[in-house]
Amino acid sequence: MIIERSSEWKEGFAKRLENREAWDSWKLYNMSYEIAKANLITDFRGLQSPRYLPNLTPLAHQLEVAETVIERMNGKAILADEVGLGKTIEAGLILKEYLIRGLVKKALILVPASLVNQWLDELNQKFHIPALQYKKNYDLNYCSVVVMSLDTAKRSPHKENIYEQDFDLIIIDEAHKLKNHKTQSYEFVRNLKKKFCLLLTATPIQNDVFELFYLISLLKPGHLGNYESFQSAFSASKHNVEHDEYLKELVNQVMVRNRREDTGIEWTNRNVEIIPIEFTKEEKEVYDLISELKNVSTVFSDAFSLITLQREMCSSKEATALTLTDMLEKCTKQEDISYIEEIIGKLMALEINSKAEKAYEIISRVNGNKVIIFTEYKGSQTYLQWYLQSKGISSVPFNGKFNKNKREWMKQLFKDQAQVLIATESGSEGINLQFCHHVINYDLPWNPMKLEQRIGRVHRLGQEHDVNIYNLAIQNTIEDHILDLLYVKIGVFEQVVGELDDILS
Amino acid sequence: MYPQQIHGYLRELFKENKCQILSDSDQYLTVQLTIDMDKRIMNRPFYWQYLESTNGVPCPAQITLITDKNKLDQDVKGEVVHLGSPRLHQLFQTIKELGSFVLVYEKISGKSDSQTILTPWLGVNYKVSYFSDQTKETLYSLGINLMTGDLIEGFQESISDVDLDVNMSENTFNLPYIINPTRALDRLDAVIENKIQQDDHTWAEEAKMRWEKDRKVLEYFYEGVEERPDSYDIEKEAMDQQYEARIKIEIINGGLFYLK
Repeated sequence: MIIERSSEWKEGFAKRLENREAWDSWKLYNMSYEIAKANLITDFRGLQSPRYLPNLTPLAHQLEVAETVIERMNGKAILADEVGLGKTIEAGLILKEYLIRGLVKKALILVPASLVNQWLDELNQKFHIPALQYKKNYDLNYCSVVVMSLDTAKRSPHKENIYEQDFDLIIIDEAHKLKNHKTQSYEFVRNLKKKFCLLLTATPIQNDVFELFYLISLLKPGHLGNYESFQSAFSASKHNVEHDEYLKELVNQVMVRNRREDTGIEWTNRNVEIIPIEFTKEEKEVYDLISELKNVSTVFSDAFSLITLQREMCSSKEATALTLTDMLEKCTKQEDISYIEEIIGKLMALEINSKAEKAYEIISRVNGNKVIIFTEYKGSQTYLQWYLQSKGISSVPFNGKFNKNKREWMKQLFKDQAQVLIATESGSEGINLQFCHHVINYDLPWNPMKLEQRIGRVHRLGQEHDVNIYNLAIQNTIEDHILDLLYVKIGVFEQVVGELDDILS
Repeated sequence: MYPQQIHGYLRELFKENKCQILSDSDQYLTVQLTIDMDKRIMNRPFYWQYLESTNGVPCPAQITLITDKNKLDQDVKGEVVHLGSPRLHQLFQTIKELGSFVLVYEKISGKSDSQTILTPWLGVNYKVSYFSDQTKETLYSLGINLMTGDLIEGFQESISDVDLDVNMSENTFNLPYIINPTRALDRLDAVIENKIQQDDHTWAEEAKMRWEKDRKVLEYFYEGVEERPDSYDIEKEAMDQQYEARIKIEIINGGLFYLK
């Protein structure tokens, strides 16, 4: 076994014996011994970190996660608590523990750009870990705990700088961003040395079971076998697996997941409703014309843009018009052009937006309480703001591209003045809005975990009211199909990862 | 560690280093640092470099350390220190540096006619750490009689009731040592190594088992892959570093003790 020792003390002692340097204070000598004794780590097991964090009171489930990850998972794990249970706190506890125990000297924390500051604040203030934000001209040799955005890290020359370093612990927040193994991010993390490693995501499966396979293969290649053996052992296809009990057990060896109801904390209820909406006759006519596009000309046969158009039509004419206008520019044949122009004409003549009316109806029912509307489209965001304004309801927009100041400003405006916040998808990470308890999913995403992320903005620690979720879906349109697929995906998640809190109804 | 304990340690640290204590309540401490202490804890080497090269008038800092924020009822501006705060870590490190080597004598009180004879001892406090992906530390305090070579374990505890001082009492006679202290240190080092050898090392066996298990999993992933990609080697290297059992021997402090 390797024994490390240093001759430093011996040399210092020799200098004193030869009277070349003065002896030290007897009082300080005793104090030094007492301090060493008091701070001694006498057991391989157990957590030291809580003693060092007098101003933080971690919740029982958070301490349990930290202990499990260190003792049973050897410091390599996916932290997959439901949104709002404090995964950052868990990761902070683990990092702190390793720092105290001297097992980690250097740590790298990769997060979405919008969360860099939040991480720095938490680590510095709650955990007293002097974490630095990575800057271009920093020499990583001198940084012990660095926070940077994954998007920066994966690019040259940062990538190379990072590979040169010897990081002991890698933490990746919102790790579901690595679900696609063909991306640059995935490749970057795959080639990163991961001695201890924490992947944080509330949603380890977003669409299909292979995402989890690839995530675990980043953390611990081989744990689920290689791709072929995984596929055959579990007869895995995207939305189906067999032997799921066995798979679940394997997954649980590298993943911890707390659900709200396991935490022993009193959670407010979550009431989820699907609200079916009927198009008006005129809206339906436009929708059908759009659905017919693929039979009109091969120019429109691209399934993806057709589906996009259908979804947009379920949202607002503003969103639809933008895409149609783009299409028009690509058309060369006169008949195609006139077909599209006809649709645009009918679209622009629409006076009623059934979905917006339903949203307004819900807002006016909640007695002045705050409401968040999530939409997939910027066009709809702008339209809704105008529409609600015309009904005397004040609202603020929100999206992920806002910088930190603007986000905080909008959040404050929403809290103090406006009744409604209208957010696009990218706005659903990293804002916490416990003061609001009504969420309207104006458009449905393909991915059920996006719904969970959205709801997680309000249904988290600190929420005092029951949370009401309204999922709007227009009947006999693509939204029926989206709903079906959402149910299937939730099924896969529950089979492999575990139960999910209600997100559809 | 309680706030009062920390407060006591810091007060002593400053007093022992001749820093004037300007105010001292139970919850906070305001101190005028000496130049030496400023250089040690204020992290401003450029200031001192500049000052010394320009022969300026040194102006060491005053600091206020709040040791018990919860009980503090006055409006005091200062730095909050508690176990886990980087500042306290630094101050503890300073205590360690300034309390590494001692030469002390047993105090002989009262006037007696006959001379008291004091025997030299070497006392050393060791910290031994076991590392794999987990850690554990043990303290050993050893003493060796520099006349006879006798060994004592728990040396620090055994002298805790003895009144010791850096100055010799009157009318005492110190025996000159027969065993050279440097040699004696080698003896103590050997004792520690022997102790480590005798110890139960199940922890290292267990780490090895975890290591092997992980390695098998990795091999399984790359089974049948002729040319292994870089990530295979990177993973393997990470595992080696994660699980390899290591032992670190560190001396906290030690010195010469003249005892009755």
